[in-house]
Amino acid sequence: MRVLVIEDDLTAAGFVTKGLQEAGYVVDHAEDGQKGLDLALSEPYGVMVVDRMLPGLNGMAIVQQVREQDIGTPVLFLSALGDVEDRVDGLKAGGDDYLVKPFAMAELLARIEALTRRGKGGGEVTHLSVGDLELDILARKVMRQGQRVYLHPREFRLLEYLMRHAGQVVTRTMLLENVWEYHFDPQTNVIDVHISRLRQKIDKPFDSAILQTVRGAGYKLEPTD
Amino acid sequence: MPRIGRLIKTTTFRLALLYTALFAGSVGVLFIFVFINTNIFAERQVEAAIQTEVQSFQETYQRTGLTGLIQAINRRIDPNVRTDGIYLLTGADQVRITGNLLSWPNNFTREDTVADELWVNFTIVDMQQAGPDTADVRALLFFIQGGYQLLVGRDIRDSREFRTQLLRSLNIGIGFTVALGVLGGFLFSRSIMGRVERITQTCRRIMRGDLSQRIEGSGTEDELARLSESVNEMLDQIERLMRGLREVSDNVAHDLRTPLNRLRARLEVAVSNAVDPKEKAELQEAIEEADGLLSTFSSLLRIARAEASLKRSFDVLSLGLIVENVADLYRPLAEDKDIAFNVDIDFSTNARGDSNLIAQTLANLTDNAVKYTPDGGSVHLQVCRDDNKTVFEISDTGSGIPPELHEKVFERLYRMESSRTSPGSGLGLSLVDAVVKSHGLKLKLSDNAPGLKVTLIFPDVAESGLPA
Repeated sequence: MRVLVIEDDLTAAGFVTKGLQEAGYVVDHAEDGQKGLDLALSEPYGVMVVDRMLPGLNGMAIVQQVREQDIGTPVLFLSALGDVEDRVDGLKAGGDDYLVKPFAMAELLARIEALTRRGKGGGEVTHLSVGDLELDILARKVMRQGQRVYLHPREFRLLEYLMRHAGQVVTRTMLLENVWEYHFDPQTNVIDVHISRLRQKIDKPFDSAILQTVRGAGYKLEPTD
Repeated sequence: MPRIGRLIKTTTFRLALLYTALFAGSVGVLFIFVFINTNIFAERQVEAAIQTEVQSFQETYQRTGLTGLIQAINRRIDPNVRTDGIYLLTGADQVRITGNLLSWPNNFTREDTVADELWVNFTIVDMQQAGPDTADVRALLFFIQGGYQLLVGRDIRDSREFRTQLLRSLNIGIGFTVALGVLGGFLFSRSIMGRVERITQTCRRIMRGDLSQRIEGSGTEDELARLSESVNEMLDQIERLMRGLREVSDNVAHDLRTPLNRLRARLEVAVSNAVDPKEKAELQEAIEEADGLLSTFSSLLRIARAEASLKRSFDVLSLGLIVENVADLYRPLAEDKDIAFNVDIDFSTNARGDSNLIAQTLANLTDNAVKYTPDGGSVHLQVCRDDNKTVFEISDTGSGIPPELHEKVFERLYRMESSRTSPGSGLGLSLVDAVVKSHGLKLKLSDNAPGLKVTLIFPDVAESGLPA
């Protein structure tokens, strides 16, 4: 898949490019807004990674123009501005996700993966299944190996998010943003505690673990065979 | 009536009152002066008239003797001639010879005695022939050779009457002066207060965070209009500065975070390239240090932003829901430490603010409570309504904070001796403080014996400005 990186900071761009290439993406890099816009309008990309602050044309303006041309390529904003308002501005301008600098490569990769897999399948999903784990969104029912698993509402939402992104790495920040809708860092790593609670219910009573910890990145829901 | 109470307390009204008092005072002094002088003048005139008459009687006596004098007196008291004079001539035996006074008055008061004449004042009830029936008399008693005594007087009732009238007019005059002064002061201060009130209202709205507010001009060019103009200019300046501050902090965030970001990126590359596990672990630690630095830095920026957050962008939030979510986030953590985690929520509670900042504030407080409460302790969260205010309270059974440090813990990067070993940046409570200040909340720390109780009081949603 081709990824367009628009970033004026060459070191950061180099780091992103290298990381993405290692993960198997084909990367084009533009170091200023105008070049970036030209590429975005002429080449087909799977994802665009755009710095919000750029010399000349800024990131928001690029995305607005791209959207005006009916190009729906997912866009991930990179920004040193981490306020909720900044984030909202970014998403309003047509961005799909917003990542505050600095970030770990694993975080960027997890988010890009989430963006590229998004929207596939289409339609409203009411039933999710990963391996022998099944989740019925409407009935709010979770079954594993045919056995009913009882979850608290929050645990249900946590599992639902993990299942929607099954096979992908999901970071703690992504969970906090999407399951709790918090855009701040709790001082203590509370997410780990919630994950371990969930594990107690969906993994411990069964012979195989389905909720994996990805070292230095986050978690991944994937059946182990 | 509280409006009138407030009106009376205004400087304008008090000044008007003071001026009224001063003016009434000076009018009073002037009136008293006029009164005394008029009085003296009237008395002198009466005395002069009496003295002239006595002198002419004296001359008549010297020229024509007693008979001439009697004739002269009789001419004066002729009933056909209206007179306000009072006359009595007696012999040495005090028996009346002639005059319009029947007998020697017995109730007269003497004044100064000068050789052969004597000033007297008396009142008469009944008079012979002409003249008024009653009179207040001022008279001169004169001794003529041969033991005769002559009394010449004037009825001074008219001038007394005039004096009373004058006094009454003066009193009414002063009364009017005071009444007009008070009324004028009242109207004057009400008009001034109305304008000052408008300025005050605008300032309040601005303090609540709406920096775009300006004081309306009144179309005049008086001192209040000039003051309003200066305040407006000051506000323009403040708005410019605030914008500048925001831009600077944005730039600092960008400029400092970018190199830190690069440092972190290089370290990450180094980790993935490292072969030696020991080296890998060292580099991983370096990344964690860099992350700590970055997190402190972004916390500082966040605090700065929280302090500058404008209430214009605030929403009415269900505080109950926010607390429930925060409690939800920390409950497993508390349970892992075997802490009794109790939550009492009144879901009808509202607060006005930035939901993310409020949530982080409550999360930081809860985080601290759970962190500093020993295993087996308890943490209690409560949201309730007190009058129209919403009160959030969190109490724990941890080590607490000594009262002398209650102020200090909100300082940036401050950490108590006892907590230096536990994780944290010393910025959690600083953020709480920033939110408390920018949201107009009240925060109170108290002893939970043992432990700490933190109380946050949210102002009435209806009173915190802007429509609900």
